Amino acid sequence: MLERPFQGKPDFEHLRAVLLRERKDGPVPLLELVADPEIMSEVTGIPYPAERAREVVWGNPDSFDPETAELGIALMDLSIAYSAKLGLDYVTMTPLVALPRTRAQLANTGVGRDQALRSWQDEHVGLITNRDEFLRYRWPSFDQINILPVEYAATRMPDGMKVVLLYMGIFEDLRQLMGFEPLAYATADDPELVDDVLEGLTRIAEYTVGLAAAHPATGAIFYADDMGFSSGTFLSPRFMRQHVIPRLKRIADACHEHGKPFILHSCGNVLSLMEDFIDVVGIDAKHSFEDKILPVEDWYARYASRIAIIGGLDMDLLGRGSEEEVRARTRQILQACAPGGGYCMGTGNSAANYIKLDNYYAMIDETRKWNEEHGC
Amino acid sequence: MVDLQELHDAILNGDAKSAAAVTRAALAQNVPAIELIQQAMVPAMDEVGRRFECQDYFVPELLLSARAMKAALEPLRPLLAASGAQPAGTVVIGTVKGDLHDIGKNLVAALLEGGGFEVIDLGVDVAPEKFVETVQQTNANIVCLSALLTVTMLSMKAVIEGLRAAGLREHVTVLVGGAPVTRQFAEEIGADGYGENASAAVALARSCARSAAVG
Repeated sequence: MLERPFQGKPDFEHLRAVLLRERKDGPVPLLELVADPEIMSEVTGIPYPAERAREVVWGNPDSFDPETAELGIALMDLSIAYSAKLGLDYVTMTPLVALPRTRAQLANTGVGRDQALRSWQDEHVGLITNRDEFLRYRWPSFDQINILPVEYAATRMPDGMKVVLLYMGIFEDLRQLMGFEPLAYATADDPELVDDVLEGLTRIAEYTVGLAAAHPATGAIFYADDMGFSSGTFLSPRFMRQHVIPRLKRIADACHEHGKPFILHSCGNVLSLMEDFIDVVGIDAKHSFEDKILPVEDWYARYASRIAIIGGLDMDLLGRGSEEEVRARTRQILQACAPGGGYCMGTGNSAANYIKLDNYYAMIDETRKWNEEHGC
Repeated sequence: MVDLQELHDAILNGDAKSAAAVTRAALAQNVPAIELIQQAMVPAMDEVGRRFECQDYFVPELLLSARAMKAALEPLRPLLAASGAQPAGTVVIGTVKGDLHDIGKNLVAALLEGGGFEVIDLGVDVAPEKFVETVQQTNANIVCLSALLTVTMLSMKAVIEGLRAAGLREHVTVLVGGAPVTRQFAEEIGADGYGENASAAVALARSCARSAAVG
């Protein structure tokens, strides 16, 4: 249980100032990429069929039946209730983009809340593996893209709260559309195909991000694009600089054109690309940190003079640690990252369904205590 | 006369067609299969691993080289079986129950095979009992476990406990790896080793195989 609400009322303008490093004083905000439906359901007490969430999140909105549409509305309501209950400054929403994708069904891990079939991309199969499939792929037109979730939240979220729009990035979608293994081979066998798929995805991303950033209810863009694993980037930095970084800049520019912060979430060891992210793409903040790669304090020490740093409480600790350990680690991070400003507390990845809720509450509660102790 | 450097370079450069062609040409010239493996393929895959470690090669280069190595290995398999040549070790490898990710596991399997190990790949979503059963059936001396999620890596402990319950634990080296896995977790669950990436895992397997041989 949370001892007390995190804060009295939402204050997105303060969160924005922290993201843009415009102020060092004031409370340390909370910010997550996303919370799994199971977590939102437990926090709010509102039931939601989590096993069906992927139909809404990953499905093609053009083919939603009335039942799926109802699930989508319920998920938006759940997200708003979750943010209000925790006292967050924002609510996370995703745009509706009719991008055909394949998803693999995962066997039931059978662990804790993770009882539903977990699904994600098939690494060996894609929808676009050759030029013919590229030409036949049904790229959505711009009139098939909408930000209805932003408009929905605009009239329902508490005063002071804004939408953080979560956008699945072009490199992740590249892996989804091509399959990671076919993509890897194509970088050597058919690099033009890879480039063309990336360009198709970038046009959609530019448009969608620009559309969302233009809306007054949108406070920031949270751009999620995993580019690495534990010891390095999936593809060479040379490839990324030639094919991906310039495109990320176009997407970030579409956000910045409307004066909104552009937050990059990228899992893995992407240290080799950080200068590109900061100087070329122009990110305002970085999210996703694992102690195994480099503790968040070290990222802060290296980059906080140039970008904001988000989260970093390790997922393994949240999943398997004790509440005391989580509180101690939260304090440790705050001591290193809070005084200089430009830091938001949060998990190393997301409020995933396999973390202990008591640990998640402990992280939030310890941050609240820190803020109160420092006169915020 | 076939220059084995050509086979080495074809694998290093990820050229599957050339690797297969050079191998067939070498066999036609009665070059022993074991010589092709030991003098061209193993050094090539070692160099691939080294380049991956120093971040000169990335996952695509590993996959391309693994593909080339497999293309070269294909015509050699029946000859190796017939010759009675002993592998460096027998490895049972798989992604644990509840997890479907296998790119990393496949790379480890390919590098191990290129390094002279017999590899029994159980695939993905492998129950602990399946690992135990396969070790019993094959007398494998190394088990490699892969997981990509914090929730699924917990299954690794069940595999180790299963091996212990079956009286096999003393005879098997258990190596673990994957995104959420750490050296600390490996020690907690009683694994023998942790590989930070594919090439580190192979180096560890080799080291374990050498220790077993000396012991």
